[in-house]
Amino acid sequence: MAEMMKGNVAIGEAAIRAGVRFYAGYPITPSSEIMEYLSWRLGEVDDGVFVQLENEIASINMVVGAASCGVRAMTASSGNGISLMQEAMSVLADENLPVVIITMVRYGNGLATLYSSQTDYLRETRGGGHGDYRCFVLCPYTVQEAVDMVALAYELAEKYKMVSIIMAEGALGQMMEPVDLPAFLDVKRGEWGFDGTYTNAKLGYFDRNSMTEAEELRERYDLIKENEQRWDSTDVADADYVFMGFGLAGRSCLGAVEDLQAEGHKVGFIRPITAWPFPEKAFAEIGSNTKGVIVVETNAMGQMVEDVAMYMKKHGLQMPVYSLPYVYGVPVIQDIKDDFKKIVNNELKEVF
Amino acid sequence: MKELVFAGFGGQGVLTSGLIVSDMAVRYGANATWIPSYGSAMRGGTANCTVKYGTRFIHNPSQEKPDVLMAMNQLSLLAFGKLVKENGAIFVSEMVDASVFERTDVKVYTIPCHEIADEIGHAKGANIVLTGAILHYLGDHTLEEGLSSMDIMFGKKGKTKYAQLNEMAMRRGYEYFEKLK
Repeated sequence: MAEMMKGNVAIGEAAIRAGVRFYAGYPITPSSEIMEYLSWRLGEVDDGVFVQLENEIASINMVVGAASCGVRAMTASSGNGISLMQEAMSVLADENLPVVIITMVRYGNGLATLYSSQTDYLRETRGGGHGDYRCFVLCPYTVQEAVDMVALAYELAEKYKMVSIIMAEGALGQMMEPVDLPAFLDVKRGEWGFDGTYTNAKLGYFDRNSMTEAEELRERYDLIKENEQRWDSTDVADADYVFMGFGLAGRSCLGAVEDLQAEGHKVGFIRPITAWPFPEKAFAEIGSNTKGVIVVETNAMGQMVEDVAMYMKKHGLQMPVYSLPYVYGVPVIQDIKDDFKKIVNNELKEVF
Repeated sequence: MKELVFAGFGGQGVLTSGLIVSDMAVRYGANATWIPSYGSAMRGGTANCTVKYGTRFIHNPSQEKPDVLMAMNQLSLLAFGKLVKENGAIFVSEMVDASVFERTDVKVYTIPCHEIADEIGHAKGANIVLTGAILHYLGDHTLEEGLSSMDIMFGKKGKTKYAQLNEMAMRRGYEYFEKLK
């Protein structure tokens, strides 16, 4: 029987079962229960190591070290904590090191707030740190999906030698719902790891060829865009309006879509599961009769809506794009329905 | 789907009441979500959680329009009472003055949960007395199902010390509502 579990705790246990054997972190609401759980749980498994550091910078740099040794390593944080990690995340990208980072997003700039939100979409999907790189960005909409994503995040990270971010809203970490936990995986140390004998090829800083590296990066990212887009969709083909939303905002949006359908509206829904790579292939389903695409998010100005407009252009879709940014929390289903009616009545203008 | 809000001072056990109801729903085959207030709200002394359960997928786990409110202090009645669905129900402890609540389209039940809890020698169990009354009002589970699922839930947390007192508290709340309705 599925048991009620808190999102953060369930993710912590899923990490153990996915073979995570190293966690370094610094607590921050609303992600702290992940490290609280792992602080004792990692001690129960062979070779499990848990460290609480003095801050996020030290934490992510220890994770760089563990990943360099081929161990499944993890850290978790939120908005400003992830900001502090950006330099090391760029290093992970540069060194082709697979790591999984969990972010339980909270709303706001600077010190931010404790409200649950999707305010860090642009940062996570653009790499975040200096340079030109990307991370996988996986967006769960239930606790179960978050749990199932942990092993997937490592598979993707290791297959393509890069960072996977599981980007969930703070509320998903705090809420409870029924969960079936996955089986324990038997994970061996990655072959890329240092083995203590320094058998890896030595490469000096000035021996690197940035041109060929850039070419290699583009090829790798193109392969990922081709093969790893993930999304869910429903009733898109003959919809008058197509809604889009991810995470808990997407979940609430799906509730609004089902209500509107019951009221006789022809509406469809696309839920990105990977925010990067962006699931542009979902747009192939959109018909030319569709009157508009409506993007539901919880941030101040609308962020994913920019990707939606950009990829619609690529796919030759010219209908208007509407932005419904509900700032923080989980959007109320009735509010989405009310705003939909404003769009239909031309009271809300498109942004693209 | 049913939506319930449990609210009161931190330490009164409102989050636990929500856990009892959501856990029971799942144990008997339903889907459920439980979501707390957290962070600053938690540290400020008030606490609340929202529980939703039903047979279908639950889209929005957050507060929308509760069918039932359990309010263990005045502030909670005023803050969340206005959200309750038309023809919904509000359960308050005898410490809450329900006479100031002006809505007539919802039913307010005052349960002397602190008095009952004191009577059975389990002062900390007032929340469970109220939960027992709500269990009866909801009508989706029997008292026996409620007792058994609560025991399993506390058992898993290693909190078996108060099992008998908790059972008595739930039973007394359930029976009080039986007489009241």
